[in-house]
Amino acid sequence: MSKDSKEKKSLALKADYIEFVPADELSSSSELITSAVEPVEAVAVRTLAPATKLEDMPPAFRELAEPKLPELAHENRARLQMQSPNRLFFYWSVGANPFHKLNLALGAKTASYSLVLKLVDVRHDLEEIYPIDAEGSWWFDVEADGEYRAEIGFYAPNRPYVRALFSNTVATPRKSPSPRVDTEADWSISADRFARVLEVAGFTEDAFDVALAGDDIDAAEMATHAAFTQLVDEPDFDFEGIAADEIRNVLLLLASGVSLESLRGKISPLLFAILQKRAESLSAEKAFAVLKDQFDIEADEIVEEEFGPGVFGVSSINFPRRLKTRRTLPKLQPVSSLRSSSPVAGGRFSNR
Amino acid sequence: MPTGFFSLILHAHLPFVRHPEYPEFLEEDWLFEAITEVYLPLIFILQSLNESGVKPRLAMNVSPPLCEMLSDELLQTRYTRHLENLLELADKEVDRTQNEAMEFHDVAKMYAVGLRASLGLWNDRYNRDLVAAFRDLQDKGAIEIITCGATHGFLPLIATQEARRAQVNVAVANYKKHFGRQPRGIWLPECAYEPGVEALLKDAGIEYFISDTHAILYGDPRPRYGVHAPVFCPNGVAVFARDVETSQQVWSAEIGYPGNDVYREFYRDVGWDLPIEYLKPHLHEDGNRRHLGLKYHRITGRNVPQQNKAPYIPALAREKAAENASHFIGERIKQAHTLRATFEGHPPLVVSPYDAELFGHWWYEGPQFIDFFFRKLHYDQSDIAAITPGDFLDSGIPIQRQQPTASSWGENGYYKVWINELNSWMYPYQHDAERKMTDLANRFSAEASKRDLLETEVRLLKQLARELLLAESSDWAFQIYQGTTVEYSSRRFQSHIHRFDLLVKMVESGEVDHELLAEIERRDNIFAEIDFSVYSKL
Repeated sequence: MSKDSKEKKSLALKADYIEFVPADELSSSSELITSAVEPVEAVAVRTLAPATKLEDMPPAFRELAEPKLPELAHENRARLQMQSPNRLFFYWSVGANPFHKLNLALGAKTASYSLVLKLVDVRHDLEEIYPIDAEGSWWFDVEADGEYRAEIGFYAPNRPYVRALFSNTVATPRKSPSPRVDTEADWSISADRFARVLEVAGFTEDAFDVALAGDDIDAAEMATHAAFTQLVDEPDFDFEGIAADEIRNVLLLLASGVSLESLRGKISPLLFAILQKRAESLSAEKAFAVLKDQFDIEADEIVEEEFGPGVFGVSSINFPRRLKTRRTLPKLQPVSSLRSSSPVAGGRFSNR
Repeated sequence: MPTGFFSLILHAHLPFVRHPEYPEFLEEDWLFEAITEVYLPLIFILQSLNESGVKPRLAMNVSPPLCEMLSDELLQTRYTRHLENLLELADKEVDRTQNEAMEFHDVAKMYAVGLRASLGLWNDRYNRDLVAAFRDLQDKGAIEIITCGATHGFLPLIATQEARRAQVNVAVANYKKHFGRQPRGIWLPECAYEPGVEALLKDAGIEYFISDTHAILYGDPRPRYGVHAPVFCPNGVAVFARDVETSQQVWSAEIGYPGNDVYREFYRDVGWDLPIEYLKPHLHEDGNRRHLGLKYHRITGRNVPQQNKAPYIPALAREKAAENASHFIGERIKQAHTLRATFEGHPPLVVSPYDAELFGHWWYEGPQFIDFFFRKLHYDQSDIAAITPGDFLDSGIPIQRQQPTASSWGENGYYKVWINELNSWMYPYQHDAERKMTDLANRFSAEASKRDLLETEVRLLKQLARELLLAESSDWAFQIYQGTTVEYSSRRFQSHIHRFDLLVKMVESGEVDHELLAEIERRDNIFAEIDFSVYSKL
């Protein structure tokens, strides 16, 4: 910066807080430029000195000096957003007095009603209900590969539920490879080859799972259920609502020594709750044993490797978790086909 | 045909930061540092490669906010002042180190020479117009430039289809303004995808987008070639997904090349080391210390405390960059052979996207690495061919059709970084503004069919669109979550929502505060070409 330029800048800052800075104040000094430079026209800007007091600013500057969020109108608003396959965010607002309409509809029979938030699992026709205020926000733990809608309504025991408003529907994604193989011959791929494709892509955890499951999805599901019932030592489970690949994934992670607590919020909430109740009887050795028993794993041990998301810079990037076997890869096929007659117990989870 | 293809994709983006209301502003330094350390060196290297017959054929996203800032006269003028000031300090440092600190003298000379060259490039060769320099690279067939969301808005967290469409269409219009053609590809902000986004892209004439790995790996049906081949969405828009191995090799804080002991240490800076009185002419008016960009130490070792870092030796670092480039190519050749064998002869494509600012800002030797990489790739081997996604689509290699799955490239692979307990408060305001914008666009589009809109009405509507777009920048939510510049990011979001609200009140009341409108226009002058009707109902 040239000496003149510095002096002008200093003068500008001593003057009153707002002014049109002379155009040449912001133009460059050319003293350090060795070759001829086409002059670039400088820009006249109206600027504030850094320490300008609010009351001394002209109205337009004052209005913009202290930004404030406007008050949102009290109107009907219900928005559901996905954070991850296992977590949703919901915010809502109910316009006017929500009970007014209810009174109009039901007359004097509304005394026992309360305002509630309902999360609807669209695919499985399941619901969760929570008492709420007229506006607010909520986080839900949900299942991957599902479909959800949130509602605000009125609930009273033994009375009909009255819906006041509802949100958009959110589809949570599958967080594992699709079980479906392309029907076109050029793109069709067997499970063991696809496991290899996943492995070379760095998704070894999924590769492991796809290899275990093999091409016979039904047989793999039966073996998975059998392994899980062995793990929790309860033969009367109903597996409805929990995908077999999610269960296998959890079994593999537990077998590799990952703690149950570290899976909170990252796996099916239902599955997590079930395992949490039985946490004391779980161990990596037991998880590995049931997998070995149901699937043809020839390894001695499964080890998990995880890259932190940290990268150079201020970003963080998703790196997949990796599973490695200590001795050898599994034979890449389930033994479930040999056990297809194994009974898989029925019944429902106690916490549903 | 080579054994495999390699596609380097650089994502150059900074949020729109421009504060004409102040004589100088700390956060404007983000742009200035990136120009000096990243954009100028990259453009120069890519031009040199092209002139020597080594076509780099990489894809580069120059995001719309970055294009707008690079083309802004005020910021160009301020950058010139910034660079001159830094050069003045570097020259002073050559003298000081000769007398007081000979161990840093070579590095000080490196900065003085480099910054003088940068000033020459900036003023003489590029005439302060880096967008034109990028455009020239594309026009000469050296690189492929792709677009991004208009303000890097995180599409799955934008509630209305109209507002999502605006992010795409405003970006395309801005690309045409700066690059004089239709973009073929788009960098989805944060690689954030959810099914349905491809329809907006197709409507905007975009042929492909970049996604994270699991968008394809978890897509339906199973991808025959995994992440090492693009897929077509059901509507024909192509998807190119990130290769994990190359991400880790170059970028991982645990094992990435930039962590090598001989490379320059980022966090040790003369702005914190030298006496404040000496530095004062080179600091902002507030006199606060800050990173100035002159860094004299090398990493030395992962656990070496900052005060024990050894002097930086430029020649050693350059040698290491060459070595890393050779290693990277060697690994790519091995990877290509492994993949080709796995794919039974089908040629694999490794897509390797990075933040452009990694190369030069965070990893000082990054531009040298890119230079060595492309030269070695061209002269030393024939197994791997550099290719852009557009080139791949033109190659005629068959592509599988698949429905990709929702994903992003952020921590854990979904949307957590941009919606969590720290920043979820933003979304009710953003979504409310989206809805209001479409209501107003509908109303005034209908009016426009009956009468000519008043100039003030059009100005108000255009500015409303700008404020909404700026509020939607994913950068604010990201920085709030990361804990970096939380106050500034929160304030920026609040400012744009506040300005949007002030403008809505003017439209609705018919009482226009002309001084306030002019002041808002002057501050948030992004997208002069914007058409508010982009928000009209689909």
